[in-house]
Amino acid sequence: MHIVIIGSGVGGVSFVEKYRALCPDARLTLITRENDGYYSRPLLSRGFSTDTIEQSIILKPFDKLRAQSIDIISAAEVTAINPAERTVAVNGPDQQTLLSYDKLILAQGSSAFIPPPFRPYDELFFRLNNLVDLKKLRRFRQGFLDRNRRPAWAIIGGGLIGCEVASDLAVSGDPVTLYHASGRLMERQLVTEDSVSLLNVLKGSGVKVLLHQAVQGFSREGDKVSVNTGVSAAFDAVIVATGFKPRTELAEQAGLETGRGIKVNQRLQTSDEHIYALGDVAELPNGKLYAFILPIRNQALWLAGFLAGQESGDWQPPAFNPKAKVHGFEATHPYLF
Amino acid sequence: MSDFKKYRCSVCGHIYDEAEGDFDTGIEPGTRFEDIPDDWRCPECGAEKSAYELME
Repeated sequence: MHIVIIGSGVGGVSFVEKYRALCPDARLTLITRENDGYYSRPLLSRGFSTDTIEQSIILKPFDKLRAQSIDIISAAEVTAINPAERTVAVNGPDQQTLLSYDKLILAQGSSAFIPPPFRPYDELFFRLNNLVDLKKLRRFRQGFLDRNRRPAWAIIGGGLIGCEVASDLAVSGDPVTLYHASGRLMERQLVTEDSVSLLNVLKGSGVKVLLHQAVQGFSREGDKVSVNTGVSAAFDAVIVATGFKPRTELAEQAGLETGRGIKVNQRLQTSDEHIYALGDVAELPNGKLYAFILPIRNQALWLAGFLAGQESGDWQPPAFNPKAKVHGFEATHPYLF
Repeated sequence: MSDFKKYRCSVCGHIYDEAEGDFDTGIEPGTRFEDIPDDWRCPECGAEKSAYELME
């Protein structure tokens, strides 16, 4: 049995370690674009207030997985899936290869969703979706700190990630302005009362919060970037945090059924019987994407057990309570999902 | 009491700080890691207590 896994986030890594523990003899290959090891994605949101983050965010170097006889192809991109032949084409750092699989697990996660009107201005803003993005942001910020200056930030999007990043930059001492389209913060996850208390916590940390903002685009003004909402205001840097987009392109090209994510049944199986998907990319029959760490890990462990013949029946979502990492904020009601 | 230690979840990076306890899961501030019930799980990712490692 050869199982190929695409993606080294919590989904891919939890799956592969669990499957290895259950089936010591199986051949396991994990392909990832990452090169820094397995790291904690939630900790990206503490990436400015934690000095040692670039090291401490790494939970497991890839060599630790290799020591469990898991083949890791890192800094590599899967360029195509061929379901009829059961192969994946891999563009690695040193070579291109074609790998055969018995089962394929798609766990590529998501990238930052950039609204179409912002796309022409791509070089004018940052995003914070992975460790490479964080390192870029930290280098940029350090350039200011080295000159005894603080960059003025605009964060576009007052959802979960936008609020977390605004909070972390503000408690680190930088001036932050948060633009949000809706009339209240994190309106998808919080009841109104909690949105109000979140607003007060952010203001207390020094964040300038602007609600009901229709950001139309960006423009360069000398060293600064201007955020245009009808009026314009200039900042040293802009971070766009307007949601996530599951990486479904490979699955689409392979002819798998997709919607917002890759469609799976209650056993996490895609429209091809040999291909499974989990995590941010997997869209369950109820239309939901369980893009939080606890249910993703739960999916991964369940699927490993299922493929090892130790689970039967369906995957059932566990109880979980996501939590925004905003300094000083505790919601009084459970998050909506 | 001083000398409180911190432990890190090896699955998601969540930190259990003995000085702070864990409000959400009902662990009082000042609770030593070894005194947390064995069936306690990481509040962030659900990993078992044994997934935690002492931080240097």
